[in-house]
Amino acid sequence: MLNSLRARSRRLASIAGLGLLAIALIACQPPLPQPVETPAAGPQPGGRLVYGLTLVVSGIDPHVDASSELGIPLTSVYDTLVYQDLDGHFVPGLAEQWEVSDDGLTYTFHLRRDVTFHDGTPFNAAAVQFNFDRIADPETRSRKAAGLLGPYEGTEVVDEFTVRVHFRRPHAAFLDAASQVYLGMASPTAVQKWGAEYQEHQVGTGPFRFKEYVPRDHLLLERNPDYAWAPAVYQHQGPAYLDEIEFRFFPDPASRVLALEAGQAHVMGEISPQDAARLEESPDFDILRVPIPGQPLQFFINTEKPPTDDLRVRQALLYAADRAAIVQAVFRGTSPVAYGPLSPVTWGYEPSVVQMYPHDPARAAALLEEAGWTDSDGDGIREKEGRPLRLEMILMSWGYVPEVGQMLQAQFRQVGVDLQMQELAFPAAVAAAGEGQHHLAPMVFSSSDPGILSSTFHSANADAGFNWAKVRDAELDRLLDAGAQAVDEARRLALYAQAQRRIMDLALIIPVRDYVNLNGISGQVKGLRYDRRGWFPWLYDVYLAQ
Amino acid sequence: MWRYIGRRLAVAVPTLWAVTTLVFFLMRVVPGDPAELLLAQSGASAEAIARLRTQLGLDQPLLVQYGRFLFQVLRGDLGRSLATGRPVTRMIGEQLPATLELALAAMGIAIALGLVLGLIAALRRDTWVDSLCMTVAVVGSSLPVFWSGLLFILLFSIALRWLPATGEGTWRHLLMPAAVLGVASSGSIARQTRSSVLEALGQEYVTAARAKGLREWMVITRHALRNALIPVVTDIGLRFSFLLGGAVVTETVFARRGLGRLIVDGILWKDFPVVQGVVLLVAAIYVLVNLLVDLTYALLDPRVRYD
Repeated sequence: MLNSLRARSRRLASIAGLGLLAIALIACQPPLPQPVETPAAGPQPGGRLVYGLTLVVSGIDPHVDASSELGIPLTSVYDTLVYQDLDGHFVPGLAEQWEVSDDGLTYTFHLRRDVTFHDGTPFNAAAVQFNFDRIADPETRSRKAAGLLGPYEGTEVVDEFTVRVHFRRPHAAFLDAASQVYLGMASPTAVQKWGAEYQEHQVGTGPFRFKEYVPRDHLLLERNPDYAWAPAVYQHQGPAYLDEIEFRFFPDPASRVLALEAGQAHVMGEISPQDAARLEESPDFDILRVPIPGQPLQFFINTEKPPTDDLRVRQALLYAADRAAIVQAVFRGTSPVAYGPLSPVTWGYEPSVVQMYPHDPARAAALLEEAGWTDSDGDGIREKEGRPLRLEMILMSWGYVPEVGQMLQAQFRQVGVDLQMQELAFPAAVAAAGEGQHHLAPMVFSSSDPGILSSTFHSANADAGFNWAKVRDAELDRLLDAGAQAVDEARRLALYAQAQRRIMDLALIIPVRDYVNLNGISGQVKGLRYDRRGWFPWLYDVYLAQ
Repeated sequence: MWRYIGRRLAVAVPTLWAVTTLVFFLMRVVPGDPAELLLAQSGASAEAIARLRTQLGLDQPLLVQYGRFLFQVLRGDLGRSLATGRPVTRMIGEQLPATLELALAAMGIAIALGLVLGLIAALRRDTWVDSLCMTVAVVGSSLPVFWSGLLFILLFSIALRWLPATGEGTWRHLLMPAAVLGVASSGSIARQTRSSVLEALGQEYVTAARAKGLREWMVITRHALRNALIPVVTDIGLRFSFLLGGAVVTETVFARRGLGRLIVDGILWKDFPVVQGVVLLVAAIYVLVNLLVDLTYALLDPRVRYD
């Protein structure tokens, strides 16, 4: 969310101007130095990687703050109890093995015995207890980690290297949570020493040490020479290759790619589709497309406000929306068309939603007729009882939402729906959607666990919260509650499959595109991969070609 | 004069109080809930939003929050940011040097460029030189910074590879953003200089100076320009205060730190303490710069006295 927010309305104008200028300047551009390919050269240690981020507006303590940007650097600072490999399986991290009780209330972790924090503090069961208790403490004001801990009751130290984590209710998504940097293990010594200023002095057990943080400017990590406990998701053992990693903040979408081209960064996240197309043609740069699990860019349809309280009207909107055309025009085909409330790379994704609403304007028109909306005065807009079929859409300036809105407006118009759009600043938009002033409102949430669906479709979040469809459906609530607690994988999959179909049966959203993070990478950078969550790079294996 | 300065500073206190009070209530009247915004990324539940609201003290009555804010400010404490949890005074302190550096450099360029263009235009009144200077001034100040900034980067960083595209720290980092901002600010200085020099050249003291047999450049610099500077200095003062409040677009394009982005992000995320703190600082800067401008009048024009 945060990331896409950066795309401000200036973007379009600047890109238009840039295009012209780029053409004019390409003629006088001197040849760039070509990277020298050393044949069969393996990973070479050394060097400093510069990684461009969008601006981190929030704090960067993973136990406290929620932004994805903080996870990008800190994934290299913290280790987690378990890791998730790229196929979605959980593999040992700081925990060598674990057991889940049959009732799903207790997770027992057997910890590695050879791990120390960057400050020399030994990693053990007491450290795990300290970390989870810190996250759950209301004083910590945790915005994400506490949510990942879910119905946390407490941690019991069984012996020096064994802990039991207890929950008040079964917490099926806990392994997924425990594999995220937000539940990364921080040094209890450092947390106690620095208190409220800990975010500037973070200490983990990971392959890189936190060296320096100058907010809004840069964050510097240095190699941890003692690192000897790399999880199996990585491709080597021992210390990392890079000496240092410097994360720099580039808030402007237009100058971000220019900084990459000017050699000021080796890696730049969140490149625009237009810039990506251009960079892909260059021999000096690569584009890494990383699909992001969670919810797609979607427009919530308000089920409480007429006329979208009528299921037939909502279904008509889905049939009228030509999402393939939108993805092609706005996103240049860089991301897949979305069909349901979860993207295909999310655990528990239900593929049958793809067939549910093909683009079919005739069917949309028929549904609207059936619902009593006809164009009686021949102005192209349908009416019912003298009122025109007029819908209000809230727009925000992130993630190409205005462009998508304009295309939807034209497509809806063809079936006689008048879509009025109002672009609001983010706070005002969130407030308006929360109050249900909209018929359609956009949002995107990334999450590797389907449990995110509770936030957006459970009735408990309809009055306050992010259930912007304002849906209160007992059947959906039952499926979501059961899914959050089902420890048995097969049962959990079945529950979330039903929930996804239920969401689309009720036509609660217009999914538009699955989120894909476009990363621009200099040809010098070798071995870069991203984790299952798509945002977080595994920089441990990365090296720079000389 | 010291009494004058003292009186002006005493009057500044109610001004600053009024400004901060206005901002305090305005920020809270505008729709949007900081707790909800902070949790918008993780997609938290309604229960979590309510809990964070309580933890941040946002559920307390407005007057209680206002009272606590005033009490803190009087002790020199601007509170902690809702978004970062860091002390606002420190956050401002981190941004201020970059802002000062950029504002000073940009103002230097703007003054040099504006005075030269304005003076030449005035001396070559109604010729093609005049039109050229004024055209340059108008075009320079009409170019949107987000566009001219990218143009500079494309030319000097990518095509010519002379200057770093973004960042801060050395004069080479400063050159492009200062130039972009300076050119943008020079237009009105040039126009102001032209019209007031023209006015001064028509005054009798200029005729008198010429009649004394002074050389023309002495007439212009000592008599015409000096007297013409009073409205120009007012304009420069206002512009400088404005730049000290932050040049958000320039900061963004060139990925520099600065107060501008700090306050814009503060407004965008409804980070009340940050917005209140920066506004208080910027208001104080305006008061100070206005005072300095008024004191400069006395230097330029012996008739102005503050005793």
